[in-house]
Amino acid sequence: MDAFLAFSQASGIYAFMNSPWGWPTAESIHFIGLCLLVGTVGVFDLRMLGVGRGIPMAALHSLVPVGVAGYLLNVITGLMFFTSAPDQYLYNPAFQLKMLFMLVAGLNMLFFYSSAVAALHNTVDTDVAPPRALIIATVSLLCWSLIIICGRLITYYRPPYHWCIWC
Amino acid sequence: MEYFASLEQTFFSIWIRETGWFFFSVLILHSLGMAFAVGINIAVNLRVLGVASRAPIHLMRRFMPIHHTALAAILVSGILLILAYPAKALTNIVFYVKILALGSALAITWHFSKSLMTTAGSETNRQSKLLAALALLLWFAGISAGRFLAYTHSILLASSFY
Repeated sequence: MDAFLAFSQASGIYAFMNSPWGWPTAESIHFIGLCLLVGTVGVFDLRMLGVGRGIPMAALHSLVPVGVAGYLLNVITGLMFFTSAPDQYLYNPAFQLKMLFMLVAGLNMLFFYSSAVAALHNTVDTDVAPPRALIIATVSLLCWSLIIICGRLITYYRPPYHWCIWC
Repeated sequence: MEYFASLEQTFFSIWIRETGWFFFSVLILHSLGMAFAVGINIAVNLRVLGVASRAPIHLMRRFMPIHHTALAAILVSGILLILAYPAKALTNIVFYVKILALGSALAITWHFSKSLMTTAGSETNRQSKLLAALALLLWFAGISAGRFLAYTHSILLASSFY
């Protein structure tokens, strides 16, 4: 934990985050990033689930690079929060659950690109996603919604007064 | 100001502030609503700007029911948040910047839903692309104003742990 804090302080992130504009600026970018992600990956998931029938799935899939950009914004700003106050995150059940859902969302994405994306592109002319894609889309939407919920709950818990799985 | 103060002393206002789980449920509803309302808007605006250009614009309107549902969630939760802290929010210029930015962005969406999204084969032009770019900037500004609201208040009559 000291290593994270040392990194934050040595890199100047800590000073920035503790300046009057630092934390809200990083939060604003974090929120914009999540909207970019839900607006692209989420919209693509909704399309696989049958919303927006008639729009070719492959066409909406080209929104995804914008979502990746949003995701990168959130990884960067997320690391800025985390390294500036690691004790508020590491021991925080909301943060721990958020990371768990991030892992599930990541594995789900790997599963999609390894086993379903080809099937989707082969069925460009049909309007209904194959069953496997339906499951992946549901898991994805659920995960990202739970990640937002857990993220919002991080400030509900004030470690170290709360439960933690490894301390 | 007296009115805000008396509003803050009503049973309901105090209850929202001091019932931790309820206050956070409202915050969560506001965030999830934002993700889907702004998200779908971003998708439409990106499409107008030429991303995912093979997706027919007029069919993007099929995402609008979800957009409107999410918008309703934002509105209800937003009103509850104002009821919890009326003096803090309504005396802050940033709040009005937020409302102005979001209102303008929604007006652009409404314009698209009455023009580009009504007929098959609609083509974007320079003007619609400029509007879409402006809408994206307005959403980013509105979101940022919403975040800064929590930090820039000058008047805080009622406070709580959160």
